[in-house]
Amino acid sequence: MIATIPQINYCKKCLLPSSSAIPVAFDDHGVCSACRTSKEKEAIDWDRRLKKFQRILEQYRSKDGSNYDCIIPVSGGKDSFFQVHQVKNEMGFNPLLVTYNSNNYTPTGLKNLQRMRDVFGCDHVFFTTSVHTLQKLNRISVQIMGDTQWHYQSGIFTYPFQVAVQMNIPLLIWGEHGHMDIGGMHSYNDFVEFTYRYRHEHILRGFEWTDFMAKAAEYGETLERREMIPFVYPSDEEIDRVGVRGIYMANFVKWEANEHGPLMMEKYGWLENEEPFERTYRRMSNLDDFYENGIHDYLKFIKFGYGRATDHACKDIRAGKMTREEGIKIIQQMDHVKSKDVYQWLDFVGWTEEQFDHLADTYRDPRVWWIRDGQWHKMDITGEPTAYGKVHLTPEEQQKYVRA
Amino acid sequence: MLKKRLIPALFIKNGLIVRSENFDYHQFIGSVVHEAKRYSDWDVDELVYIDISREKEYDLRRDDYNLDAYYSMEEIIRKIAEVCFMPLAFGGGIRNLSDVDLRIRNGADKIILNTGAYETPELIGQTASKYGSQCVIVSVDYRMVDGKDQVFTSFGTHATGLTVNEWISRCEQEGAGEIFLNAIDRDGKGNGYDIETIESAVESTKLPVIACGGAADEFDFQELAEEVENLSGIAAGNLFHFTERSYPRAKKYLKENGINVR
Repeated sequence: MIATIPQINYCKKCLLPSSSAIPVAFDDHGVCSACRTSKEKEAIDWDRRLKKFQRILEQYRSKDGSNYDCIIPVSGGKDSFFQVHQVKNEMGFNPLLVTYNSNNYTPTGLKNLQRMRDVFGCDHVFFTTSVHTLQKLNRISVQIMGDTQWHYQSGIFTYPFQVAVQMNIPLLIWGEHGHMDIGGMHSYNDFVEFTYRYRHEHILRGFEWTDFMAKAAEYGETLERREMIPFVYPSDEEIDRVGVRGIYMANFVKWEANEHGPLMMEKYGWLENEEPFERTYRRMSNLDDFYENGIHDYLKFIKFGYGRATDHACKDIRAGKMTREEGIKIIQQMDHVKSKDVYQWLDFVGWTEEQFDHLADTYRDPRVWWIRDGQWHKMDITGEPTAYGKVHLTPEEQQKYVRA
Repeated sequence: MLKKRLIPALFIKNGLIVRSENFDYHQFIGSVVHEAKRYSDWDVDELVYIDISREKEYDLRRDDYNLDAYYSMEEIIRKIAEVCFMPLAFGGGIRNLSDVDLRIRNGADKIILNTGAYETPELIGQTASKYGSQCVIVSVDYRMVDGKDQVFTSFGTHATGLTVNEWISRCEQEGAGEIFLNAIDRDGKGNGYDIETIESAVESTKLPVIACGGAADEFDFQELAEEVENLSGIAAGNLFHFTERSYPRAKKYLKENGINVR
């Protein structure tokens, strides 16, 4: 049992709640770790860091051109463009671009991906898992972890490492460290690198392909070992043999997503999404998978009471592009929206809406949600307890959400 | 030359491992179990866990992990002991013998006293008589005040007026088996170890000393090992979280550079 239901509080500077999906810490002034880490960027000597980046890459350069210098895992988004722009065009290295396909690109996202090939002239591996397998993984994933996206997260953070090991390319260059960017998990002085533990615990929340195999039957699915090949992370021995190392460019080159978008549009004709998203006001993020801004994020709201509009507004507040008051207005309008792609997903896996709503409700976090008069309630950022629609649980399942 | 142990020191706050800076700022790194499992894979010499929770409530914060929730220090120790086979030392919040018993009973091989030893020095001897002195580590936190080292307790907030060597000498008399020396000023900064104070402490006592605070990379381990010949353990709190295979790679580097490690 949770000893005491904690009061959800919000960062004094941005909008991040203490119920954050990403472990966030607050200092004595009520400011979150994400704001604190983000502020470190101002005092960093970025010229010195760029030299350090150059030196690291130089260590891995293929002297005779018989192999690639590094791998850049890419989605074709603004950050991918920026990474390839920096590594190939600015610094003169020869990266192999590797994409794990979400199978859910927006039409604009696909145009960008094609454009990335045209403008940079890099070799590009584009990997797609069997759609039949994806349907099964989506169904199992939502049931065992309350998230539809396990395959994508797992694929993105497994497949490029398989390529690294198979092709003997030790260096992978990532953009930013997600939990450091959104939650301030690290300091810029840590020079944090990719680790299996981070992948296993934070990206996959402890669920590996083996758990999917073990649990498939329980959910009436059949999964074969051969369907799981894209999700098998190389062993420690393989990683050591090649000397695989994943570094984050954001530790070396000042990372400001709000500037990457316009810069990449101007230089390479990159496009922000031509259609608006329903759950966020930003059009420059997550074009590689519309579910990321959709059902996946809607489930985050169901669990923790906030969504991607909050994440994006927090970033924009930290970057000085938005006031906290403007942000509050936006998130009050967008965080709870049940986006249309939910119905597309139901169609993809063959589920009913009631089936989904019931399952989703079982994942509500009792630290955030309580039930009153048959309605879900949570404390809003405005300090008001607010109702968010009808409860889909049985009376028994409702027990843990009743507060005195 | 003495074989030196390389020891990850992990700080637990409200149930999660944290990255610590200056003893007052803590970012959450992850669950104790996932961390412990990884250190077990890496076959570390020993693990030091210190609970720095201000209020003793423990919670994973979310329930959709592939992990059973835990809500107490006993559960935390049991879960770590289940996945680890190396010696485990637990500290934080130990004020009397029954706190000691609880930790030993649940799987700790050693216990670490800090504020408890300062407030009740007899606790050192009581624990040593019951479990042997090899089981008692006293953790000594210090910072430099007007150019002189001074021991602090209570998460670094209470000044004792004692120097490091004075306090270590007292702990030795009381029956401590080992000293864990941690530099508050250097915590989380990555500016290197305080070699001068560490060396002086090591020379002042017969007890094995583990030094912590300030490591940024394996070069800092190497420097410390070379400068302080009789040092028993090299510890780092944050560093091992940051890179892949950090521990075995650091060990390999130290071996290749002539440092006597296991």
